[in-house]
Amino acid sequence: MTFTAPWFAWVAAGVAAATIALHLLAWRRPPPSPLPTVRFAPERPVRMVSRAIRPADLALLALRVLLVLLVGFALAGPVFARQPRGTARVIVMDRSRAASVGATVADSARAAFQPGDALVVFDSLAREISRPSPDSIVAAGTASAVGSLSAALVTATRAAERLRRDRDAVEIVVVSPFAQEELDAATAPIRGTWQGPLRLVRAGRLRGDTLAPARPTVRGGSGDPVVATLALVGAVPGGAAARVVRDSLTAADRAWASVGRLVVVWPVTTPAPGWPRRSAADTAFAVTAIGPAGQPAPDSARRAATVVAPFVRASLPPPGRVVARWSDGEPAVTESALGAGCVRSVAVAVPGIGDLALTPAFRHFARRLVEPCGGTEVMRPAGDSVLTALLPSRPSASTASATRPERARATTPRLAVWLLALALAAGLAEMLVRRGASNAAA
Amino acid sequence: MRERRSEVEAAGGGSRGALLDALRGVKWPALRTVGGALPGAHHSRLRGAAPELSEYRLYRQGDDPRRVDWRLLARSDRAYIRLAEDRSVVVTTLVVDATASMAYPPRTLRKWRTACDVVVGLAAVAHASRDPVGLLAVGGNGVRQLPPRARRGVVGEVARALDAVTPSGAAAMAGAFAGAAVRSRIAIVSDFLGDADALRRRAGEVAAAGGEVHAVHIVADEELDPPGRSILAVDPEDASVSRPFVTESRAEYLSRFGAWREQLAAAWRAEGLSYTLAVASEPGARIVRRVVGAGQGTDLHPRREER
Repeated sequence: MTFTAPWFAWVAAGVAAATIALHLLAWRRPPPSPLPTVRFAPERPVRMVSRAIRPADLALLALRVLLVLLVGFALAGPVFARQPRGTARVIVMDRSRAASVGATVADSARAAFQPGDALVVFDSLAREISRPSPDSIVAAGTASAVGSLSAALVTATRAAERLRRDRDAVEIVVVSPFAQEELDAATAPIRGTWQGPLRLVRAGRLRGDTLAPARPTVRGGSGDPVVATLALVGAVPGGAAARVVRDSLTAADRAWASVGRLVVVWPVTTPAPGWPRRSAADTAFAVTAIGPAGQPAPDSARRAATVVAPFVRASLPPPGRVVARWSDGEPAVTESALGAGCVRSVAVAVPGIGDLALTPAFRHFARRLVEPCGGTEVMRPAGDSVLTALLPSRPSASTASATRPERARATTPRLAVWLLALALAAGLAEMLVRRGASNAAA
Repeated sequence: MRERRSEVEAAGGGSRGALLDALRGVKWPALRTVGGALPGAHHSRLRGAAPELSEYRLYRQGDDPRRVDWRLLARSDRAYIRLAEDRSVVVTTLVVDATASMAYPPRTLRKWRTACDVVVGLAAVAHASRDPVGLLAVGGNGVRQLPPRARRGVVGEVARALDAVTPSGAAAMAGAFAGAAVRSRIAIVSDFLGDADALRRRAGEVAAAGGEVHAVHIVADEELDPPGRSILAVDPEDASVSRPFVTESRAEYLSRFGAWREQLAAAWRAEGLSYTLAVASEPGARIVRRVVGAGQGTDLHPRREER
């Protein structure tokens, strides 16, 4: 048994000793002695303080000492520590957009995982997998959201504290490509809340590393303005995994897209089958492909592509993530996930007459529409020096001391509550015994 | 000399021998003329046929014809009565307090022993003047009485009677000497912690009737200087009276006790009685000398306090 605040127990022991000493100086009747002239002595209470070799009122003394010791030990926070067994790890696996390329993150996580370890997977959110196994790592999959190492560390720290009650040592192992976008200002303080070791395993490649430039595939007729536009656009990052269809979406297109590719459905005539129709066709005079989500505002504005021209609006794109909007804010292009890939629906009718499709603005607009799912933002890897500063293998002393009371507060032993209850009972018993003794003396 | 030796032996041998030796030659004159007819050492109010001529007085009817000076009648043809100063004895009753308060301190009983020494000493002094000496020991076990006698060995009888008494219990002393002879001399040896007021009133009545009362107040050293340790003081005559005695009580106790002694002495003297305060540690002979010399002036303060 250990104590969270052992000095409370020492203070209680001192108070108990003082209580015993006071009982040796208890009020008692002095020894009677004859004195013929007693009538001239002033009237005083018959009881006086005197020292005694044996303490008086043994029952009261026992109850008072018990009361003091119980309160002291309860405040000291006794904790019955279990016998620690071996070491354990908390595997923190990145399943965010940064790690969505390839399977090396999952492979590294599976290599580090051992039975009895805890598993935390994270993207923008983090969750602990109950009853983890190597299959749980595979089943975790990937997500398109930007990861948050801070959220992952909070969940991992909670799991590590739980494991530490039963283990000699607990280590948090973070398996991730460690993009800069996954770090924030809270990462370092959250790291300080965990007093144990932290190991970083850089695995996988960032998304931007794998998007090789290529021409996207276009299924359209000859003289199609979009085909011409994309021909002028040329190679785009990840273009090999993009397909533009100027007709309707087929089952083959769905299968092709579901393995992490992009299918852009850009029908020649709108409305396309299955798309919601507008109540009345009208004309919009501009369309803008907005910057990808998660990008800083200046980058998002710089990467926006706007085409100013009279467009006839006859239909709305299916619901999904808005990629482009009309000048009045209505969605013009939406994106919906399909397996590991996505389908991008373009409700922008391109006039076959005129040179709109050949303008740089429209080419820039088209280039944005064939970017891979979730955008083509390049995630930059965090440097080793940055990682060492934000996520050291051991927390700094100042951070550890600042967070120690939080840990002590987190462990509220149930035994203390029982001790306080017993102390309350002892106090009541002491009061009853004292009252009985007073009545007997009276 | 032989009589004196026998008295010493009767009074307890060596233990009281020094006391009696110290009191040899001490007289205890009566405070006023006595009315007794028996010849003694004290001036009598009666003028009778003592050998020592005082004056002549004309014969009056009713005078004893045997006291007529016939030679003067023959010379002057006038009948004169021959008068002379008479001396008489005074009956002395020694009243001693034998209640439990006198048995103090419990280990040494010095208070009681001093009272006994004073009584034996007074008896010896009175007996030396051939006064009849009697004893009244008033205690919880009753009254032990020796009627006044002037015979030899009466001092020893008083001493033996006192030795047979164990002070205990409580008793009222005022009524004990109700039957004492009128115009006698009464010496009360007590601590006056019992019925002091009633006793003083009774003594005043005796004095008003022509008697003579001496109060000898015995005070133990431990009463004047109580022990410093904390005790629960219990009245030996009444166990229900108990009070704690601690250091803080000492000053008030001494003040109260001193004031009471002053009041007691003043009250006795206001009645025209003799009052002598004696500390138990004071030699008995010295106390006796102060008692017998306290006829004219009163001695309120014991020798111990004078030092």
